[in-house]
Amino acid sequence: MSLSVLICDDSNMARKQVLRILPESLSENVQLATNGVEALEILNNQAIDMLFLDLTMPVVDGIGVLQGIKEAGITVKVFVISADIQPEMQNKVLELGAKAFLRKPVQLDVLNSHLKEHGII
Amino acid sequence: MNNVNLNDDQQDCLQEIINVAMGQASDQLARYLDTFVYLKVPSIEQVSSQHLSDTLKSEAQSVAVVSQGFFGYEGIRGEALLMYQPKDSDRLADLLGYEPDELSVEEQIIDLSSILTTTFLNVFASQIDNQMSYSAPRLLFSSNADNNTSSQSSISEHIQHNAFNWEVALKVKISYQVTDYSFNCDMILLIPESAIINITSVIDRILEDY
Repeated sequence: MSLSVLICDDSNMARKQVLRILPESLSENVQLATNGVEALEILNNQAIDMLFLDLTMPVVDGIGVLQGIKEAGITVKVFVISADIQPEMQNKVLELGAKAFLRKPVQLDVLNSHLKEHGII
Repeated sequence: MNNVNLNDDQQDCLQEIINVAMGQASDQLARYLDTFVYLKVPSIEQVSSQHLSDTLKSEAQSVAVVSQGFFGYEGIRGEALLMYQPKDSDRLADLLGYEPDELSVEEQIIDLSSILTTTFLNVFASQIDNQMSYSAPRLLFSSNADNNTSSQSSISEHIQHNAFNWEVALKVKISYQVTDYSFNCDMILLIPESAIINITSVIDRILEDY
């Protein structure tokens, strides 16, 4: 059975960037969210295996989503993909439970290496 | 009034390019200041030169304004306005790690402005296959240097003197907040329509891949 994937980014281009480099095994069951509120609504109502999450977004940002996931006790593997590459931010998202931090624009080999590291592919 | 006319995809692509540049500039700033820089989603809007002073009014409560021009290949050019709103401007030297008498506050602000502008625009340029050169940063207004002038009138005067040679521009506003020091800086990029036309053609090439 294919894994369910959620991509959350306010940029259409950034969502497409992730979509086009997802391995085949992850690209069959993909949903999209344009901000943190939409992402949390999906996560609260459906079982999602993997979340690719931007940080700088309107309404509710990526940090808000990570906090929401933690508070609700939702089980999902989160990979943060962000342009906010400050070390303090990278540490913060990992402390909040993200599996990895990937800098934008995300590259195929970098994504694959993280997915392998976490036994997803 | 002319129109810059970016469609939704072009605006989204430009915003994403700006996001990446903003992220790298904030990382540089955070390392330089040894602190954390809080980022907001940048705003992009069209402005006319006629109404620019009015649109800058909300940003004009600044204690200092620095202007720096930038020039790339293929007619890409514009101006960066760095507008500082520190709640406690006396702490700027502390923030920058200078000794109290090492540099004047004005020199410190110019230093910081140059770092922010060039870091942001170098990353921005590399993403659109361009390369920027810069004019020397110029302090337009400082509450420390001139207590008789408001930042609003200084900016208006600057706009009038430079005439900008454009009718319509894109105004990109990026806010850097250094919460540890209660320090805020807005970077406003004004990119005239002739330059936007060139940027748009690069954006279209990027979008062809999607």
